[in-house]
Amino acid sequence: MLLDLVDHKESINRLLARYGVKFGIYKNNVFHEQLFPFDPIPRVITRKEFDYLNRGLSQRVRALNCFLADVYSERKIVKDGVIPADFIYSSKGYLPQCEGITPPKKIYSHISGIDLVQGRDGDWYILEDNLRIPSGASYPMIARDLTRQAAPEAFTRRHVLDNRNYASMLRQTMDYVNTGGINVVLTPGRYNAAFFEHSYLAERSGAVLCMPQDLAVEDNKLYYRSYEGRKMQVGAVYRRISDEYLDPLCFLPESLIGVPGLMNVYASGNVAVINAPGNGVADDKGIYYFVPHMIRYYLGEEAILKNAPTYLAFYEKDRSFILEHLNRLVVKDVSEAGGYGVVFGSNLSAGELQKLADAIRTEPRRFIAQEVIDFVDLMIVDGNEQVPRKADLRAFVLAGEETQVWPSGLTRFSRNPDSFVVNSSQGGGFKDTWVLSH
Amino acid sequence: MGIISLERADHLYWIGRYTERVFTTLVTFFDFYDQMIDMDLNAYQDYCKMVSIPDIYGDSGTFSKRYLFDKYDPNSVYSNLERAYDNAIVIRDEISSYTLAYIQLALDHLQAASGSAAPHYDLQQVIDDLHAFWGCVDDRVDDEEARNIMKCGKYLERLDLYIRLGYPDRDIERGYSKFVNRLDKVHLKYHENCRRKLDEIVGSGSVKERKDEAVAAVWNFF
Repeated sequence: MLLDLVDHKESINRLLARYGVKFGIYKNNVFHEQLFPFDPIPRVITRKEFDYLNRGLSQRVRALNCFLADVYSERKIVKDGVIPADFIYSSKGYLPQCEGITPPKKIYSHISGIDLVQGRDGDWYILEDNLRIPSGASYPMIARDLTRQAAPEAFTRRHVLDNRNYASMLRQTMDYVNTGGINVVLTPGRYNAAFFEHSYLAERSGAVLCMPQDLAVEDNKLYYRSYEGRKMQVGAVYRRISDEYLDPLCFLPESLIGVPGLMNVYASGNVAVINAPGNGVADDKGIYYFVPHMIRYYLGEEAILKNAPTYLAFYEKDRSFILEHLNRLVVKDVSEAGGYGVVFGSNLSAGELQKLADAIRTEPRRFIAQEVIDFVDLMIVDGNEQVPRKADLRAFVLAGEETQVWPSGLTRFSRNPDSFVVNSSQGGGFKDTWVLSH
Repeated sequence: MGIISLERADHLYWIGRYTERVFTTLVTFFDFYDQMIDMDLNAYQDYCKMVSIPDIYGDSGTFSKRYLFDKYDPNSVYSNLERAYDNAIVIRDEISSYTLAYIQLALDHLQAASGSAAPHYDLQQVIDDLHAFWGCVDDRVDDEEARNIMKCGKYLERLDLYIRLGYPDRDIERGYSKFVNRLDKVHLKYHENCRRKLDEIVGSGSVKERKDEAVAAVWNFF
């Protein structure tokens, strides 16, 4: 099955190059732009399996949105002892500046990128939640379009749900929370790693791609300014700039890529910011442990999708377990992202294990440890042969009038046979994700 | 959407300038290249003087390679095409992925031609890509003002090169007419004295006699 696509690898990659499907990476402080390696063999998910994932992921994002609303207002979940206050207030993602702010339609995480893997037992496990500015949806979206051009016959016999509706889902999500005005995609600029995505999503969703200097705050409203002096009100900002750089009057004063005064406009309900500032507290690797508890607490339901078995070094009992089994666990530094700060105990020397153990003892809040999930390999084309490689799935959940999962996703794979790390910044490639209509 | 930011107007204008610089440079380069095959090996020196770039090349063979393909030579065709790409990529949503793709293709074809023993033949593909690019601009860039700003850049660059390279008066008049036609449809601020000067020089057919004044008026136009 799907072998017919293998023959089209070159033509599809040629089309991807034509349309500039690239990502940026900094090596030794020098920016390099490179093509994102694409593998033509898609991950295939049956409709039944997708329906299950849809229920589980929607449930998770609904609970996370409830958590964000709670944690920046009444903090009932802390008062009721479900999550220790330490885990919230010591999180780098918790922003006191967001306390008391209610975003339009009370949605905090409009676009959530949830990373999952499928274990060899067939079960899906959530690896992490990305609720700040998850990227990646544009790649399978354009890859599908180009694969259909290069290999139309591959789709005639199979019943694959069209994933090219992501831009219209995004548009609906922006329109739903728009407070009156145009939609813009705010990018820090050409030298951002995900710039292709910013520009492509703007084009496809009909939003205006803008740089910070295109925007200005006046009378507590946000405007897009024209070169001849006109201005147009902005109702929704899909920002692809990190919280700390978003507004120099509120966060880092040295930020040159923010919009001064934006947070005031947002706090006054005069513009929607997608995703809401402050979401980092909910996708903190330490908070991940508590998501099933949140689901129970806010929704009165049991989590449909499982977390990977996780231990918090913060808890003494868990810490002892971690230190005892360090050589078989994967340890994650909660302050890192992009596949960095992830250490497999089995790869460490005795000295390195000791150093890691010391760090865990010294700063327990900084680390979580997880059992290594033996997740399924997917076949990729490597030269003239097909070889198995580790792959995860980033599913995109969009919360607007309703919370729904995009029927596709970014499947990332490791090109290194011995690695579990799939991030593009570390040499990984991507696949399309097909959801069958039956 | 009918509103163009200052930053975006700047990118639109410079896409026009850089794509036209590459296009006209390539077309003109072929004339000089033809001379350098077996007639005048030093013809490139005149070319450098005409377009006011330093002669860092030393001989015609080096010139043919570096001026076309050297990414570290800021005056090379490759560098100018890269600048066109840099300006285009940040306004993908305005010009569309289809249009942007022709600049990417031109870059790819230029790079692929770098080892060629017959650049005239291989670089025709780059010229074709740029023709397709402008066709795509007319077809895919919905905002009329955006198209006009791009064409302001395109025709001002053309005018500049035509004047410097000694093109016939008729070509210069036609280029200038196209430029002012677009200029009057946009809201770009410019120096009116430069326009008056160009009206006078081009209108009187005295570009060759007053070349330096004409070049300066173009240089200072915006």
